Parts: sequence; C-alpha cells; structure tokens
Amino acid sequence: MFDLATIMQILWTSVATSSYYVLFALSFALALKVNKVFNFTQAAVMSVAFYTAYGCVQLLDWPAFIALPLALVAALVLSWFIEVFGFSILRERKVEMLFVFIFTFMVSQLTVYLISLAFGTWSHTIFQSMFWPVTLVGPIAISGWDIPALVVAFGSAAILFAFLRFSRWGQFMVAVSDNPDLAELYGIEKRKVYLLTILIAGALAAIGMFLYGMRAQVQPRTSLDLMLFATVATIIGGIGNLFGALIAAVGLAVIQNASILFISSEWQAFLVYAILFATIIFLPGGLRMPKFGTRFETKTREISLAEETPSAPPSTRAE
Amino acid sequence: MVTFSRLNRRQILSAGAAFGATMAMGGGQAGAQAGTFRFGLAMPLTGPQALYGADQIQAAQWGVADINAAGGVNGKKLDMIVLDTQADPNVGIQAMNRLINVDKVPVYITAWSAVVKAAAPLANDSKTLQIVVGANAPSISKLGDYVYTSYPLADVDLIALLKYMYGEGKKTAGVLYVNNETGISAAEIYRDAFTAMGGKIVAYEAFDPKATDFTGPILKARASGADMIHIQGQVSDTPQIIAQMRQLGIKQTISSYSAIFHPKFIQSLGAAAEGVVVTSLAPSPEVSADVAKYVQRWVKEKGREPNGLPYTQYLYDAPYLVAKIFEKLDKDGTAITGTSMRQAMLDIKTFHLPLTGQVDILPDHTVKKPVDLMQVKGGKWERITTIGT
Repeated sequence: MFDLATIMQILWTSVATSSYYVLFALSFALALKVNKVFNFTQAAVMSVAFYTAYGCVQLLDWPAFIALPLALVAALVLSWFIEVFGFSILRERKVEMLFVFIFTFMVSQLTVYLISLAFGTWSHTIFQSMFWPVTLVGPIAISGWDIPALVVAFGSAAILFAFLRFSRWGQFMVAVSDNPDLAELYGIEKRKVYLLTILIAGALAAIGMFLYGMRAQVQPRTSLDLMLFATVATIIGGIGNLFGALIAAVGLAVIQNASILFISSEWQAFLVYAILFATIIFLPGGLRMPKFGTRFETKTREISLAEETPSAPPSTRAE
Repeated sequence: MVTFSRLNRRQILSAGAAFGATMAMGGGQAGAQAGTFRFGLAMPLTGPQALYGADQIQAAQWGVADINAAGGVNGKKLDMIVLDTQADPNVGIQAMNRLINVDKVPVYITAWSAVVKAAAPLANDSKTLQIVVGANAPSISKLGDYVYTSYPLADVDLIALLKYMYGEGKKTAGVLYVNNETGISAAEIYRDAFTAMGGKIVAYEAFDPKATDFTGPILKARASGADMIHIQGQVSDTPQIIAQMRQLGIKQTISSYSAIFHPKFIQSLGAAAEGVVVTSLAPSPEVSADVAKYVQRWVKEKGREPNGLPYTQYLYDAPYLVAKIFEKLDKDGTAITGTSMRQAMLDIKTFHLPLTGQVDILPDHTVKKPVDLMQVKGGKWERITTIGT
C-alpha cells in the first residue's frame, strides 16, 4: 500500500513534528537533572506562554514580534514565581520528593483551571489560521512551518548545550546537578543555579509551545497532555541525560508516526506506552545513549570548582 | 421565577413546605404551585464538566426568564429547580431522587450520557418524564417509557449526510475517527449506514484523542483512493486534520459533523476549509438573527461567547418545550403528572423552538429534525441542502 514517497513523507513529517517535543523534553529533563524535580509545573508555564501569545495576537491584535517576546516574559515570570515561592520554600523545609511532585501537579492543575475560566475551553491557535503553505520537494510536501520549527528547536537545543559547555553559569548548573552540596562548598550559590535552571526550562517550554500553537489547536488542558511525551522521552533518554532526552523525543515521534507502516493506526498511541513500559522494566536507567559533553562536564568541574573560592561567589566573578 | 438550589437544609425545608402546599391544594397538580408550573433541571454545575454545564444552565435560566417576562404559561409562571449532577451518575441519582420525591416535579431535563442512563430507572419507576437535552448516544432511545430526547441522536445527522453524498455519486469513503467511545460509535454508524446504502468503506482509520500529527492515517486514506473522506474527530483536532490533509495533497470531498459547524473553523483553516461539508443541528449566528442576538446577549452579560454554543441553544429552548406541554395540559384541564406530560408531549409532537427551530419528538424515543448540510464556499458557510423536511 505504501510507496517510497509515502514512507519518506511520514519520516519527514515525523521529524518536523518532533521539534516541539524536543523542547518539551529538554525543559523537563533539565529541571530533573539540575533541580532534581519532576517539574510538572512546566505545563502551567506552557499554558501561560500560549495564552499570553494568543491573547496578544488574536484578542489585542498585536504583531507577533511583540506578542511572542511578551509571552516569553510571562512564562519566565511564572517560572520565577514558582521557583521563589514554591520550590525554594519546599527545598528549605526539606520536604519529601513525593510532596514536591504533588505540588507541581497542583500548580499545573490550578493554572489550567484559571485559564479555563479566563479563556473558556474552546480551542485556539496563536495565529488565526493554522494552515501553512506547502512546497513540494520531489514527492515530499514540506509545509512552511516545518523548516523554521526545526531550526528553532534544534537551534535552541544547540544554544542550551553550548551554554552548559562554555558558560560559567552553565558549568555551575552541571556542578550542582552532579553534587549540589559539594558545589556549594566551592562557593556556587545553589539557589541562583536552581532559579536559572527553572528559567531556562521555562523558556524552552514556552518556545516549544509557540511552535505547537502555530500549527495545532490548544485547549487549557493540552499542555498537560503534552507533558506525558516529555516525561516518557526523559525516562527513555536516561534521567540526567539531556542529549538522551533529545534523541528519545525525536525517536519517539518518528516511531509513533512511522509505526503506521506496520500496525493499525489505533495502536499508534499504545506504542509509546509499550516502549515506556519496556524501558522501565528492562532498562530502568533509560537507553544507554551518549551523554553530550560528558568529557567536558568532568573537565569543567575540575577547572571551575578548583579555581573557585568560597569567599568569591560565582555571581561576583561573573560580573 | 428561577430558583437555584443544592441539597441544603433550608431549601429542603422550603421544598418540603412547597410539597405540603401542593398536597394541601389537592395533590392532583403535581409540580404546580399556586400560579406556577414547576420542573427540574439537573446538570453539572461543579466538577470537570461544569464549564459546559454552567453555561447550559445559564441558557435554560434565560429561557425561563424570557418565558415569564412574556407572560408565562397561560398567565402562570414557570419555575425551574436547578440541581447539580457533577456529570457523575451517583450524584445525578441523588439529584433526580430529590426532584422526583421531594419536589415532585412531573418532568425534568438532564444530560450527559452516564447520568441519563443512571437516572432512567428512577424516571420509569416513578413515571416522571425525563427529557434528555444534549446527550446523543443512540442507546438513549432504549432507556424506557419515560425517557425522551429533544436532541437528535448520533445517527440522525450522519445518515442525512450520507444520503446526500451517495446521491452526489460518492460510492467509496474513507473514515478517520477519534479512538474514543464517541468517535468509535459514530464511525460504526457511518460505516454501517453507508454500506447499507450500497457504498464501500475503503479506509477506516482511528487516531488517538491526544495525537498532534495525523500523517499516517491521512496517507492511508489517500492511498485508498476514496471518493470522499469523513472525519469523526473532536472539535479541537478536526481542523488540524483537515489542514494536514490539504497539505498532503488530498483533494477529495471532506465531510464532518455538526461540532465543526462554527465560524472559527473557517478562520483557522482559511483556504484549506473550502469545500468541506458538515451537518448542522442548530442554526448559527450567521444564518439566524435570533441566534446572533442570543450570542450578543452572552457577550454583553458575561463578556464572552458560551462554551458549546449549539448545546446552549438547545438548553435555552428546553423550557419552551416544557412550557408548551404545560400549556396544553392547563388548557385541557388535565391533571399534571409525569404520565400526562409524556402523553401531551407525544400528542403535540412538533415543537417550534426559538433558537433551534422545528423538532418532532417521536413515540420511538427519537427525534425527527431537519438536518442542514453546510459547505464552505468562498470563505463562508453556505447551506447546500436540507435533509429530512
């Protein structure tokens, strides 16, 4: 039934749609790696980012170049609020992980409920039309959304990896993720690192939501559904492995779409759960994927932390 | 006169007082206090479905208020008792018990299939008329003597759509349906009806309710070479599926059902919406001045359009339907009971309602309602035909 053109089309569309999944997975995996939280408040940040963009573009009729940065700021403000008035307080009180987990769920549910009250449950897109013009490259239809989305997603991922590898604060994040108490002994301010991590995770989630909202319709609960994919990709990629989460997100998107070549469409969604189940049972540490920059991370700790003195806080040196 | 009540002590006492007063009047006029006709409305006012339920209650309350403002029913006020079901069968049964045994209403309105099915035995045992407004599971027509619907069940619009398409020469069809109870049962109705007409289903593909990309099922449908492709999806995903279908080069006629019939569908798809055929079970603001005024009322009083506009239109009309039955019984001097309400409703049969138009309530517990087929032409909805007049 399927010719080569159809197979190529499925593969191309799968890779294109993996763009926002990559960003959601990176956001979730980053918060888990550095802050050690299953951060389901990410759904709240995603919803706020989308509805701010939607409100500015469609309700206030503002241009996208104003609306999208403003929505990004809204997402960052919410991320800051959640870290300062939520996570940091829970951390100080040394509450159990389960309680933090429940807190993140509560925040996302509350936000979704408030957004439902404010905007209703109708589906929206950021721009009025979700239809993108198509260019035929040989037999493959490439929509006007595909390539910009891939550039934005993988560009953001590249910036994140470069930040972790080359910037001082990125190195601090790696150090805190490795051993927060030791990092603190060397003068790294954990609180600032945790805040920075949540802000970066919030920005990634917001950008992913912009990509999603330009192509698909969004309801208040959509972000909660999208979180499942991010969680699965993080677990399959290996907890603490950002590059693994990225590869897993792309792989899952391709497998889920391409599976129609072999199985009935109604089993496509089941496949993700089956893979997750198998991973948890047989590979609890996730698939063994290379850790991007592992060698460098070790080197970073050796150099940066050795040079650090408790009396010279990183923030001062950064300035 | 509109009363909202939950199960609290004061209102149970007042309901008890009302009950006592009713009995003191002779008890023959169940549901009628001095100068009023009472009925119940049991919908989700709290819980996850409250966003829809609350708007539907609001619509029904406006219906009652407008009837009373226009002089009521033969000079008597309509009194609607509102109870919360949370769309939960257990809570729904408590609400119906209260309406039947405490408030002694002869008729009540409810929705949400699970609640409707759970409450049906209560209605049948107590001979209280249960009118379903909004739920559309075909099994509703088989729930017993006292359960009727004013809302067309799922097969009505799909069969109308298929009659038209088959007449237009479409002999093969592909079906893409959302893999949940609603999508599966509607897709089965479509498949069976089309096959019975002599058509052939050449692609029958499900997609996940949470899917964001539909390339696989779409390409399977494209490969089947069907004359037309029907989408039985959700309000949120159907425009996206159609956008992807057009992007993937599908030029066949695309059809869907009434949930897609709204102006935002065209806005969200632009040129990709051209040619799409859908059914309509309630007039839109574009084709009905009364509906346009109704939507303006929402915007003016609530600052927004209602959640699930067509459903709220049916709920606005529901008190008018009940009022018509009360009016007939009152004129005839017949005692108002669930049994007499049921019989009067079947005798009247055809109701002309302000926001949803004509509906025939049939003895087989279904409704006959003309189905408008709408097509996107030149960037707006145009009625191409009406089936079932």
